[in-house]
Amino acid sequence: MRRFLLRRLGQVIGTIFGVVTLIFFLQRLTGDPTYLLVPETATQADIDAMRAALGFDRPLIVQYLAFLKQIASFDLGRSVIQNVPVWDIIASRLPYTLQLAGGALLVACGLGIPVGIILALYRDHPASRLLASVVLAAQSMPTFWSGIILILIFAVTLGWLPPSSTGGIEHLIMPSIALGLLSMATFARITRTSLLDELSKEYVRTARSRGVPMGLLLRRHLARNASIPVITVAALEISNLLAGAVIVETVFAWPGLGQVTVQSILARDFLVVQGIVLLGAFVTVALNLAADLLYSAVDPRIRLDGSRR
Amino acid sequence: MVRRGRGLAAVVLGLCLAAAPGALLAKEKLTVDLVNEPSSLDPHVQWNPDSYYVYRNIFDNLITRDDKGNIVPQVATSWKYLSDTEIEFTLRDDVTFHDGQKLTAEDVAFSVQRITDPKFASPQLGQFNKIIKAEVTSPTTVKLTTDGPYPALLGQLVKLSIVPKHLVDAVGKDAFNLKPVGSGPYKFDGWQRGVQVTLTANDKYWGTKGPFASVAFRAVPDAATRVANLQAGTSDLAVTLDSDLAAQLKNSPKAKVLSVLTERVAYLRLNPAKPPFDNAKIRQAVAHAIDKEAMVEGVLGGYDKPVPQMLTPAHVGWVNDIEAPSYDSKKAQALVKEAGEGGKAEIELATSPVFDQRIVQAIQQMLSEAGLNVKINMSDMASYLKRAQGGIDATPSLSFGRWSCSCQDADGVLFPLLHKSSSWSVYRNPKADELLEQARQSLDDKVRLAAYRGVHEIVAQDVPLVPLYQSAAIYGAAKELEWQPSPSESLFLNRMTWKD
Repeated sequence: MRRFLLRRLGQVIGTIFGVVTLIFFLQRLTGDPTYLLVPETATQADIDAMRAALGFDRPLIVQYLAFLKQIASFDLGRSVIQNVPVWDIIASRLPYTLQLAGGALLVACGLGIPVGIILALYRDHPASRLLASVVLAAQSMPTFWSGIILILIFAVTLGWLPPSSTGGIEHLIMPSIALGLLSMATFARITRTSLLDELSKEYVRTARSRGVPMGLLLRRHLARNASIPVITVAALEISNLLAGAVIVETVFAWPGLGQVTVQSILARDFLVVQGIVLLGAFVTVALNLAADLLYSAVDPRIRLDGSRR
Repeated sequence: MVRRGRGLAAVVLGLCLAAAPGALLAKEKLTVDLVNEPSSLDPHVQWNPDSYYVYRNIFDNLITRDDKGNIVPQVATSWKYLSDTEIEFTLRDDVTFHDGQKLTAEDVAFSVQRITDPKFASPQLGQFNKIIKAEVTSPTTVKLTTDGPYPALLGQLVKLSIVPKHLVDAVGKDAFNLKPVGSGPYKFDGWQRGVQVTLTANDKYWGTKGPFASVAFRAVPDAATRVANLQAGTSDLAVTLDSDLAAQLKNSPKAKVLSVLTERVAYLRLNPAKPPFDNAKIRQAVAHAIDKEAMVEGVLGGYDKPVPQMLTPAHVGWVNDIEAPSYDSKKAQALVKEAGEGGKAEIELATSPVFDQRIVQAIQQMLSEAGLNVKINMSDMASYLKRAQGGIDATPSLSFGRWSCSCQDADGVLFPLLHKSSSWSVYRNPKADELLEQARQSLDDKVRLAAYRGVHEIVAQDVPLVPLYQSAAIYGAAKELEWQPSPSESLFLNRMTWKD
């Protein structure tokens, strides 16, 4: 176990270093924010002075070393566009991203897993085929469209929910649904497949022939055995939900990290992008680690140090 | 029975009393949907529309523009030129900052020195760097010195906000940005990052007070959502709509459309150093091939207005009787044919997602009909600007853009776009350079107008640019909000009223 954790820690540091280096150079391929900052009437001298003031006139390698030094001292730097520390920007947005990801996950799992179970248990029933196509339709709707349709129905026409922005739980409902519907289908599919897999195993047939009711079998054995792939997918989907909410955040004016990432990329606000990417890499790696640890909790046959029991 | 009746009467009376003050106070809180949150609220730092909409209500300027666009007093009551390069402003004596301290000549001089200090590195420096000195000459007068005669000075100064010296010195740049204190009709209240900035009315304001007790400026990046918020009644004013979204508001029981022609000019810039535009005939063909009327009426919904010169009537330097090459597709085709093989060179039309792509496609189509071979190349704004200001080689053959100097003076438009010394210019014409310099160095409007007439005529004949239309700013507003938007795209809350 300790050897496993040490090895994984080494991988984590390597991955994060690679990601940060890549994003540092990738961003700088297309220039810097100077032209976006100065007014149209600025002369070349004004532009050069601005660039020097921001430090973008220094050689790339000097900028890179300065950045590494900063990171090593746990300082993410300051946004040149918003004029505040990068950490303050991330810290102000993170709670919203977590709320939205949580809400979406609730919708995705809360709908997806039961739907997957139904699809598996009644796989030949016509109603189940209908359900499958509904799930597919929900996944196929682009969020910029489904989001605005939700707003028009539930906020503008019916007036039940606030159309956008933040506040109470009522503000979270529509964005969570719009975002959650996308992952819902993934959860439904993976639950169905994995459950079908288990259903075809011999112990199930034996248990059924001995008269064990399906409900009990599902709770006691199937749920646990079929959950490994679902956990894998959940880890991937959570990192997706944390990173991929740009469109939903934009449509619902939800102040999450996705929106600020895209705005910062467009504004060439390098340090903000680097900070968010660093965080994203860290979260993804951490979630994968958590999933690995969960496997062994759910299924003791899986040992983490690679040795056989 | 009697008793119940009395109880009911009491309830009704109570309701009336409870409702009455609300009705008298009209609108307590105004909610404005911007595109993004302000980048900064220190008026000397970042400069973009979303910051500008908010902080201009917190700060006063030396001078301002009225709704008609004329330059009128604000903190300064009057001004006079002491020489071609020196101007003295006389200041009001009754202005106080939100912290209770009096606004003095020291604060005005400090504000000018701060924004023009190269060490401060204000992105706005390019608008004010002609000012080389700001001095307090008496407790109520300030003298500004420019490095030469500078006719656009007043046009630029309407954007220079007065900050309190005592506070900025005490708390420093970063803290001031987080908690700005000005002397304007609204006080800074709070900033919920990514969500909203709230302001409250300054009850002690020396001028017209704001009609709303508090105002929230929210970040709502999707225009369709801004419209939905208006329709649902959760916002009162929304900026930056296009004509399609405006059409949705036409039948709304709650909201209406407000629009104004701004000082922003849409234009095509040609690079005469690159084929086929090294041939003046082909440049003229472009000017004849573009049907500005069809563009404005057919694509933009009629809010914008075609212009024959690279300015708007809101600018100093607009000349009434300039004639642009007329729309004539036959003539355009003939000119392209005349050029033979040279006319078939591929033309890159550079654009960015911030511009209206329907227009860019219409341009491509109109030029193709004239026989030109146009390819659209879209890149993000930072890359677009980098190439546009990267000199003759980097500048694309053709680019679409919208220009605003926010100074309503031809010097802020024509000089950067055409004069050889500017990073934007790819045009080399000694005659045009001379006229532009002449207009920049004279404080005499007659001399300036004559020079700009010359420039407009060169543009019409030699076509380094094709001026297209004066852009409209389209806002959505609650039915009860009365407001006249201005060409400078400002959003002054104390010029609004609410009618229930």
